Amino acid sequence: MTGYAIVLASGELERVQAVSMIGSIAAASETPVQVFATMNGLTAFEKETVESGDFEVAGPAGYAMLESDGDEVPLFTEQLERAKNLGPLEVYACEMVMDVMGNEIDDYVDVFDGVLGVSGFLQKASDKQVLFV
Amino acid sequence: MSESISPDVTVDSRGAACPGPLMDLIGKVQDADPGTVIELQTSDSGSKGDVPEWVEEAGHELLDTVEHDDYWSLYVETTK
Repeated sequence: MTGYAIVLASGELERVQAVSMIGSIAAASETPVQVFATMNGLTAFEKETVESGDFEVAGPAGYAMLESDGDEVPLFTEQLERAKNLGPLEVYACEMVMDVMGNEIDDYVDVFDGVLGVSGFLQKASDKQVLFV
Repeated sequence: MSESISPDVTVDSRGAACPGPLMDLIGKVQDADPGTVIELQTSDSGSKGDVPEWVEEAGHELLDTVEHDDYWSLYVETTK
């Protein structure tokens, strides 16, 4: 077991939060984790989205997390930033989605280690268990 | 037994939900020398079960879990 490569393709807050929690604890336990944020999963990281809190929400758990306002459950951005200081966690942005959306890496919150295409991600994921969210 | 445990470090994670308390503990464990006794205070019942799982997996030792009125104290001794 050489770690997890997590494809985050959904922008639903519940899924993004779950990825950040599981990835964070794994990395903090010294298991390498790479998160590849693509499709709407990347949109959740846009500065505008994070600042406004206007996330895509799928159901009651997501609304409950939003209402807790970060007091109890830290937002995924905060969680990932913290975990990066505790263990081998890397977060990558999907180049294709950035192009389609007309975004630069500076349009996203500062948690990314770089920008990757599909080949780059597959190469990094080759020795890892892939989770698709 | 719990009365006799005097922690070297106390981590107050009361009010934080999963995985906050565990993250707080891991941060302290990483900085601690072997043999350090850490008291993790949590009001999150999920963490009460999840933290011992992590402690075992990470190879540290859970000394005791003490229930208070509205929180738990988990005493962990680092082994490495």
